[in-house]
Amino acid sequence: MNVDVALFASLSAYQPDGQAGRHARTFDLAAGTTIATLIAELKLPDQARVVFIDGRHAEESAALHDGQRLAIFPPVAGG
Amino acid sequence: MSAEQPHPDTELRARLAKAEVAIIGCGGLGSNVAAMLLRSGVRTLTLVDFDTVAKDNLNRQLFFRDQIGMPKTEALADTLLRIDPEAELRLVDRCISSADLVEVIGDADVIAEAVDGAPTKAMILEVCTRDLPDVPIITVSGLAGYDSANLIVTEKLAVNLYVVGDLESDIRSGLSLLASRVMVAAAHQAHAIIRVLLDCEDI
Repeated sequence: MNVDVALFASLSAYQPDGQAGRHARTFDLAAGTTIATLIAELKLPDQARVVFIDGRHAEESAALHDGQRLAIFPPVAGG
Repeated sequence: MSAEQPHPDTELRARLAKAEVAIIGCGGLGSNVAAMLLRSGVRTLTLVDFDTVAKDNLNRQLFFRDQIGMPKTEALADTLLRIDPEAELRLVDRCISSADLVEVIGDADVIAEAVDGAPTKAMILEVCTRDLPDVPIITVSGLAGYDSANLIVTEKLAVNLYVVGDLESDIRSGLSLLASRVMVAAAHQAHAIIRVLLDCEDI
């Protein structure tokens, strides 16, 4: 199945192509892959983050489905 | 325009006057956002903060020397009521958690996330996008340091989430918080809130 994955801010450096930029890359994933599994495979750092599927909040335990868009946003401090 | 027709700005101000905004965090962002919203016509605000005014807040936050030691919510309310004595302000002077955040927000039409720490920001975004999916939330991420103010933008990140900032500049990287850049972000945040309240499509 194909899932578009957008990693924001500092997380964009963890895209497999090594290129900066928040634009989504398409991943070919095995059926049943969860967000948590993908996060582990990408070796994202353990930092505060919020996860969305198709623009709505998602739990990291959720399974991904073909055609979805996953976005991961890490807020940074300051206010 | 005929004399019978109300001025468009009057209609827009009337819509803002009916709105309620919850501001979570009354520091550099929240205190200035509150004042800008009030001056723009928003009359009902929930102000949330557990902290007291300290001397080192005065370089960017809307507080004064004679308010040092006061709860930030009370000090800010005093200032806001000097701008508009008829403003309706609900003060929440305590630390909020994921368990009571929805209750604290109440019936707000828009939420302004204006806290300091990244984990707290993430908690607020998590709860609000999960439990209040129809209430727009405007967050700020990346406002520290001396970099160009033009890097601070407002963009839509999810269905009910808008983010202001350059997304990168983190105070944990040793960057300081400058009044000028904080105010740019606060102005972006306040204006995004106004445009959301006015149902503008392009925030």
